[in-house]
Amino acid sequence: MNIYDLIFYLFATITVLSALAVVSTKNIIYSAYNLMLTFFGVAGLYVLLGADFLAIVQLIVYVGGILILILFGVMLTNKVNGMPIHTEVTNIIPASITIGLFAGIVLAFFMNTNWKSVTTEFPATTIQSLGKLLMNEYILIFELLGVLLLIALIGAASIARKQ
Amino acid sequence: MSIEYFLNSLYLIKPEIAVTIFLVLIVLLDLFFSKKNHLLPFFAFLGLLITGYFVIEQFDIKGLAFVTNDSRAMVTVDSFAAFFKTIVVITSLYFVLLTVNSKEMDETHDRRGEYYTLMMGMVLGMFFMISGSDLILLYLSVELVSLSSYVMAGFAKTSERSSEASLKYLIYGALSSGLMLFGISLVYGLTASTNLYELNALIVVSQANSFVLMFALLLIFAGIGYKISAVPFHFWTPDVYEGAPTPVTAYLSVASKAAGFALLIRFIKVSFVFDKDTLGFWSSNPVFNWQDFLIVISVATMTLGNFAALWQKNVKRMLAYSSIAHAGYLLTGLAVLSDTGLIAILVYFAIYLMMNIGAFLIVILIKNKTGSEELDNYDGLGFSMPFLGVSFTIFLISLTGLPPTAGFIGKLYLFMALVDAKMIVLAVIALLNSVVSLYYYIRILKHMFLAKPKENSPKEELSLQQILIVLSLVIPVIFFGLYFSPIVELAKNSILMLGF
Amino acid sequence: MIPIEYYLILSAFMFIMGVIGVLTRKNAIIVFMSIELMLNSANLTFVTFSSYLGNVTGQLFVFFVMTVAAAEAAVGLAIIIALFRNKQTVSIDEINILKW
Repeated sequence: MNIYDLIFYLFATITVLSALAVVSTKNIIYSAYNLMLTFFGVAGLYVLLGADFLAIVQLIVYVGGILILILFGVMLTNKVNGMPIHTEVTNIIPASITIGLFAGIVLAFFMNTNWKSVTTEFPATTIQSLGKLLMNEYILIFELLGVLLLIALIGAASIARKQ
Repeated sequence: MSIEYFLNSLYLIKPEIAVTIFLVLIVLLDLFFSKKNHLLPFFAFLGLLITGYFVIEQFDIKGLAFVTNDSRAMVTVDSFAAFFKTIVVITSLYFVLLTVNSKEMDETHDRRGEYYTLMMGMVLGMFFMISGSDLILLYLSVELVSLSSYVMAGFAKTSERSSEASLKYLIYGALSSGLMLFGISLVYGLTASTNLYELNALIVVSQANSFVLMFALLLIFAGIGYKISAVPFHFWTPDVYEGAPTPVTAYLSVASKAAGFALLIRFIKVSFVFDKDTLGFWSSNPVFNWQDFLIVISVATMTLGNFAALWQKNVKRMLAYSSIAHAGYLLTGLAVLSDTGLIAILVYFAIYLMMNIGAFLIVILIKNKTGSEELDNYDGLGFSMPFLGVSFTIFLISLTGLPPTAGFIGKLYLFMALVDAKMIVLAVIALLNSVVSLYYYIRILKHMFLAKPKENSPKEELSLQQILIVLSLVIPVIFFGLYFSPIVELAKNSILMLGF
Repeated sequence: MIPIEYYLILSAFMFIMGVIGVLTRKNAIIVFMSIELMLNSANLTFVTFSSYLGNVTGQLFVFFVMTVAAAEAAVGLAIIIALFRNKQTVSIDEINILKW
């Protein structure tokens, strides 16, 4: 077992445990902080997989943006003073049966599949090739995302602001 | 990648560019001339007309836009796409008219700018859903449509029902698009590509992994099934249709369903069909049995839709279930996997547009006067509002599929396609379903014409504009019921699709 | 080298956790966090395949999905806040004027 394997197991453990905690803790603040740990764990895995740029973006967008947004949502919608911020769980039995089946199928399929794998070394950094793809073959999607963000901005502002 | 290549591609996506330009213009006009924002509906209408012109121009063009060096195309331009884009544009035009004539939307008038911006965003997303040929582009356009429609469903934000509808739409939408994304990631892992044209060849090669592929396709279908509200992804439909403002409901029930169907048809036809025989039956890749799968889904969808509609007390909710049932009929047309089935779907959609928008329009006009959509408040309205009553009758008869209305033609073509493919059992089930649907459509009419009118029930006072809008839907519903060859010819010319 | 299955099972686990959260939690914001988990797991799958197939495009898709996730979070939380203003709750059980 070399050092990379150890790092993988470390990040995998962080991700698994915190993902479990996100959906199982009763306290919504704990959920939010565990979500942050999950994002960190995934970012670490990205680095191991050779996606350095994505790891940085993951930290900036998810931890710096989405998580803060979610925390604001928690603050604005929970009467933190005097009110419990604990939350409850609903229809657990049908859900767990469905999920159990689902998980079994996924695992069985994944283990019994011969995934293609090519041992090509990625370049030291992927930014250059990502940038080229983004500005050439995927330019249309890049522009479309601009519209999508504009729509999200306008929609969110229009619905969240007071009359 | 040269500049000519970009210009060529831009030339092919003129309608999309027009929509985007008008989207930005609406934002800017709203920003700088906010005093005059009552003119925005006219402006949006104009924008849609111009877009519509570019769409109609594309009926005879065939082309691939944004082709990368290994001949993968992002966007396909063909008459199939033009047909569905026309449906989206016409629905959007009526959406503007419905909004202007709905009292429900009065409180939101200071936010008109946002409203029409979101509508334009939705049109753009639906255009790419219809003509996109790359799974990632399709996912993003589905998300663009969803994001705008979440906000539009909750646009009357002081109304509890509207914000509730919006939240439910959001949760189901995010769940199913998450499933779809996971499915796409598995397809990418199996084939190293997300392009529909490439998948056609690659899926054959990777047959060893067909179980994972099947699983991935089911997940992708979850995302599409949510857009067309097919069982079992229909849970959001009744709640959202009931809670959202009625013009938005009408829009969702036609336009976003049309885009979802176009996406599903293109996905199946381009990625799985590799040949067709002289009678127009498609031979599809044996890796996934689309035919059996679609038969099961369509039977479940139409049966559930029709039976659940039986005991609804709210007209909008009833129409929501009826629209689920119609999705079921449409899916039977696709299950045939043949050119006749495809023609039937296109014919049915053109007719569904008129009759469904018409039905919702009457619901809006009645609600303007009575302030309610409950069935009990429809008592005797056929006498106090004769014009609306008669028009509603025509739309409902057409939705049932009885002659001499256009709805009959739509059903007739669907059943003919089924019989053609020797799927008699499915045809019988669809027929029985239509009989069931007769019961609940008639129930509305019973309330309107046979129940005693309430005291001081409001008078029918319609502006000339409103009468004209109603007539513009009633007349085609009857006209195309008697003289339907134009629609059928158009549909026949529109099934020529790139991808073989 | 870690086998590809380990990464896939990890991301499938995250995905399933996300689905469980969406189906069982009552608080709309936690449902939202679970959806973020699902999107993250799809992203991890993309990056894994991208790395093992030697194809950079998969990483680009992750980039796109992150944009969508951010947009969805913004719109979603706006909707939750609008609902909270009307009803003073974000518990899905109490959101029941319309039957589920």
